[in-house]
Amino acid sequence: MSLPKISCAPASRLLSSIHDLRWLLRSVTPLSVPRRALVQSEYRRPGQPREDKPQWQMFKFDFSKGLEGIKKHFKLLRHEFSGRLVGPEGKPIIEHMLEQNRVIWEFRGPDSLQEWTLSSDREIGGQSEIYLKLGRNSDTCFLYGTLQNAPPRDGETRYSGYCTMRSKQPLASFDRKKHYDWSSFNTLHLRIRGDGRPWMINVATETYFAHQKYDIYSYFLYTRGGPYWQDVKIPFSKFFLNNQGRIQDDQHPLWLDKINTIGFTLGDKAEGPFQLEIDFIGVCKDYAHTEDFAYEVYKRNPEV
Amino acid sequence: MKCSRCLLPLVRSGRTAAQRCVLLPSTSQLIVQHNEQQQVLRYFHCSPASAKRGPVPAQFVKEDEQKGTKSLATKEDLFEQVAKEYKTKDTFNKVIDVFTKRDIRRRGHVEFIYAALKKMSEFGVERDLNVYNKLLDVFPKEVFVPRNFIQRMFNHYPRQQECGVELLEQMENYGIMPNTETKVLLVQIFGEKSHPMRKYQRIMYWFPKFKHINPFPIPQPLPEDPVDLAHLSLTRIANDLDARVTIYQLPCTDFTEGGEEIKLPHIVGIQSPSQMEQLAKHNPKKPVFVEGPFPLWLRKTCVYYYVLRADPIPLEERVEEPYDPERCFDYPLQLDLDLDRDLGDDESFDVDDLDDGPVFAMCMTSQGDQATLNQWISGLQQNNPILGEVPTLFRLDAGTQELQGAADTEPGYRHQPHPEAQREEPQPAEDPEAVVEEESRRSHGMKQ
Repeated sequence: MSLPKISCAPASRLLSSIHDLRWLLRSVTPLSVPRRALVQSEYRRPGQPREDKPQWQMFKFDFSKGLEGIKKHFKLLRHEFSGRLVGPEGKPIIEHMLEQNRVIWEFRGPDSLQEWTLSSDREIGGQSEIYLKLGRNSDTCFLYGTLQNAPPRDGETRYSGYCTMRSKQPLASFDRKKHYDWSSFNTLHLRIRGDGRPWMINVATETYFAHQKYDIYSYFLYTRGGPYWQDVKIPFSKFFLNNQGRIQDDQHPLWLDKINTIGFTLGDKAEGPFQLEIDFIGVCKDYAHTEDFAYEVYKRNPEV
Repeated sequence: MKCSRCLLPLVRSGRTAAQRCVLLPSTSQLIVQHNEQQQVLRYFHCSPASAKRGPVPAQFVKEDEQKGTKSLATKEDLFEQVAKEYKTKDTFNKVIDVFTKRDIRRRGHVEFIYAALKKMSEFGVERDLNVYNKLLDVFPKEVFVPRNFIQRMFNHYPRQQECGVELLEQMENYGIMPNTETKVLLVQIFGEKSHPMRKYQRIMYWFPKFKHINPFPIPQPLPEDPVDLAHLSLTRIANDLDARVTIYQLPCTDFTEGGEEIKLPHIVGIQSPSQMEQLAKHNPKKPVFVEGPFPLWLRKTCVYYYVLRADPIPLEERVEEPYDPERCFDYPLQLDLDLDRDLGDDESFDVDDLDDGPVFAMCMTSQGDQATLNQWISGLQQNNPILGEVPTLFRLDAGTQELQGAADTEPGYRHQPHPEAQREEPQPAEDPEAVVEEESRRSHGMKQ
């Protein structure tokens, strides 16, 4: 069953912290197998030369950075220990159990912009641009740029024109992965001011198997446009599963206990500038919402 | 008719055999037409009255039989032969008919369908379901249906299945819902457990779920008239059902003394009663700003609107007016109950309330210069007399499109008591802003 890949660029890419190791590229030809051929790498843009540096050359050793790193990580470790004394996740237990809404991302200073990663189809050779800055009065984030639909002329890519903003994976001390636990909530609440363009919200969870690596749960974010702020409430039961941009046949509800990142993607095939202002992103518990999952879970396309 | 044959230029461009000359029946009249690719198109006409008809199918069939220079003939040439102005749904259908009637075995149908899919947008039929069904009809029926489990297992006729999936994918991209005819065709061509059928099932599952999820739906054929479009978009962004749209000026042409024609743009404004109240309560010593243009996207078109707003009132000056109990007799507007809300009952988020300042009115116009906006303000003044005393500042910034902060420079100034508005050019003050914007754009580049 080998239908050749109709490549649709991944909706958003995970770019981890600055200590990101440039993973090695997978082999294509069976004739010349590089040394580390079995490691699955990130997307390699067609036409880009393969990097064949040995792994020890990828590290950058710098003393002052090392010192800063040590300071930062031990501080985080100390916070973690002292946080345990207060309660789970650093909050008193009564608050942790009873809270009905929580603000996850707020944009109240330039440091808040460091939590986000931007990406556009420039990485695969397109011409879209995306930029992020603080809105007026440093209260909101302002995401703006231009979308261009022209696909890169590499012979493989057929569709292009996307821009995304994705939050970085939260890290504990010593760059360990931390996950968001939203199991006591059931709705995502955003306050945004868009320009009428439809966006897509992508939530990525922690997965175990390799083929789940690009599993993302998404839903649409329709903006009204205009000078007024828009409150958007999306229950988590509406998020559908897709992998690398292809919606999957076997759907299941989003599990809220280990959420890694959230992202916003624009790919509405309308060429031109765009902008989106976000005030805050929070989660809340809507007692009136009783739906478990919006899509059918039974097998809809049984095997042959 | 010898003279008509002399008129036939023998054009040899190495592309296809289609450029061979065709012997004409003597009774028909010949019209030679050249398109930009130097191909010669000929139409057979019975009478000059039917000169507008496209090329007749018989032409293609005859030309293929000619033996000409051995050049690569691609399936796209069938589409490219149609002249630009005749590219309509009819001619597209005719080309498909030509192909289907040419060969009972439909040799090369996969390439033909790929070429047709590429050329659909040129002919303007990419959103037409009937055309897709007709294209799907090009596949020979029942040949690709697997007949036993081995054939089903091994991806029977993979190229054709891929082609079918491509066709459905283009339909999906344009958001066209397939119908029963599509399903019947797919079953006849590929069978029930094939990839195109699976894709059809997926489309039929997901499309109805996502068709109406837009809480702010946009009408399907957008209004062409700019005034109607402005009306639609202003009611959309007004966020208030009581808002009233006023057309201050319709697009028309005006003649100046010199005899020149000036095209006056349309000015459509919107204001709601609560905005009027807020404007009436505005402190006349503080200025109001006309800001813009801000973009608003309606599917694929972008329109621009301008906003009349003021800075947020600082906390010291905020006056809390008590609710007038006579405003509503059905229920009390204010309750003084001492409810102790528990942590579990608190439904508000722990964020500071953002206050951008009140927005008093919005407008849309095709020409966003100060003169036009002055006209808008004068029109607004008829319902809001306070605009006569309040200084109005213009912040027409083509660079950034966000609501500006309170501390920004003030480019244009308009003082109402003088009937002649002083049109100070906002350019010198805007340029440093534009430069600042460029720098900030470069520094906040893509975060890697």
